[in-house]
Amino acid sequence: MAIMERNSRNIDNRYWNPGFKAFPVKNVYTAGAAGQRFFEEIKNNSKILGSRCEKCELTYVPARIYCERCFNRLEEKNWIDVGTEGTIYSYTLLFQTQNGEPRENPAVMVAVRIADGLLIHRLGEFSAADLEIDKPVKAKFKPKEKRKGCIEDIDYFKPIK
Amino acid sequence: MDKKVAIVGIGYSGFGSTTPDLSYREMIFEAATKCYQDAGGIHPQSIDSFVASSEDFMEGISIADEYVPDQLGAVLKPVHSITGDSLQGLASAMMQIKTGQQSIVAASAFSKVSNLSNHDGLVTYATDPFYIRPFNENPYFIAGLEMNRYLHETGTTREQCAKVVTKNRSNALNNPSALYGARIELEDVTEAPVLSYPLGIYDMSGHLDGSIVVLLASEERARELTDKPIWIKGIGWATDTPNLDSRIDGMGSAVYARLAAQKAYRMAGINNPFNEIDFAEIDDTFSYKELQHLEALNLCGPGEAGKLLELGCFAPDGDFPVNVSGGSLGGGYLHEANGLQRLMETVLQLRGEAGKRQLHDVETGLAFAWRGIPTATGAAVILSTRP
Repeated sequence: MAIMERNSRNIDNRYWNPGFKAFPVKNVYTAGAAGQRFFEEIKNNSKILGSRCEKCELTYVPARIYCERCFNRLEEKNWIDVGTEGTIYSYTLLFQTQNGEPRENPAVMVAVRIADGLLIHRLGEFSAADLEIDKPVKAKFKPKEKRKGCIEDIDYFKPIK
Repeated sequence: MDKKVAIVGIGYSGFGSTTPDLSYREMIFEAATKCYQDAGGIHPQSIDSFVASSEDFMEGISIADEYVPDQLGAVLKPVHSITGDSLQGLASAMMQIKTGQQSIVAASAFSKVSNLSNHDGLVTYATDPFYIRPFNENPYFIAGLEMNRYLHETGTTREQCAKVVTKNRSNALNNPSALYGARIELEDVTEAPVLSYPLGIYDMSGHLDGSIVVLLASEERARELTDKPIWIKGIGWATDTPNLDSRIDGMGSAVYARLAAQKAYRMAGINNPFNEIDFAEIDDTFSYKELQHLEALNLCGPGEAGKLLELGCFAPDGDFPVNVSGGSLGGGYLHEANGLQRLMETVLQLRGEAGKRQLHDVETGLAFAWRGIPTATGAAVILSTRP
């Protein structure tokens, strides 16, 4: 049991690419009963829906059909409109692209607390002084005709002046 | 179920930022060979069962668990994989012995991250496809959000996080297998380019290739195989919600670490971890994580880790040395093998085989690993020189 020989010259080392460049992993995803309705409400009615677990006294945002704490099913009556305002729970200025390349203008990402949930999104229409935990913010929706039924139907969150 | 389990052998291979000379399976073969030699030259035919920790995308092959047996000497033997940190794999191996099903079990893990052309993209692929992925942003913004919230909640400073980096990279200079050792100033970290504010580029550990194999045995077999058994006194692991939207508690603190440690401490009969444990190897994938984990592991109160760090408490000559090996910031990040790397360093210290970085009079150590962004999974192990 031993490795008897090793490559000792860099120029002898090569990486093997299989006959195809990369396996094209392409999935479609099912938003599910909760996700479907959550995104349709955003798209059609500019509303953000949460679901309330009375037992745990928690309101999930985005809405879902079960409570992850007590495992109770969250029924129709548990779905509530939680409004379009929240507060900055945390924020960050991202100075790298998705592939790890540096970039000058950072993406400003925020975790927006709405009820007991955190929506992860972009911050827009802000000044440096607005970058503050607990700062109130409001969802800015895309024009209706541009909405597709996805999280980006909200363009960004912006500070409430 | 009261059977005692010991670590009787450990070996590693690689530990380079690239490893173009060996395939990942050859690297595991080499680590296994060293591990079996370390356990008195045992032949894998005498090993009852094997557990590998892995994640398909890292290997670049589907159903990677089927590609495990040969490099471990496990062909025609019981083998399975744990998709998780390698300390979770260790727990699985340990349970096989505790149940009496097996007497000697090997656990393996590796990283060949240098073969990935777009690691950050892979991490993005691990995030929620509806609520996170559509932003097409670098996934480490999640670490930026976590760090900012942690600083806000605890009053920990950015400089204290940078101090973790200078400590661990300096510690790594005494560890021949650590890749990122350096003597640097606080300003080198705080004034470096920002990755995701407040997280700088040096607050994140560098990639590492390598493989680690560890051999576990029942008490009876352990005594036959080695005169330096290291006993697993307690183990625990826990996973917080995968949904970032419900991490109200979990964004600023490491809830998974608190729960994992509670289980491990209870099993080991530890009531006051700071007094009853001599040192720790703790996940420091990011600088803030070491401090956040120290608090979650109940080694100090919330917001205290940064202050204790500045007082030298976690230095190699401090009251509670943390990451004397250099951790991941000083040694490099081994991905799913992170846990076994923390474990290996703990074992070497307890055996008195840690060379220049050897601590004196150590009897009980803690190894803790986290699975990295975007996960909320952690595993803790208590090791001791005494059964």
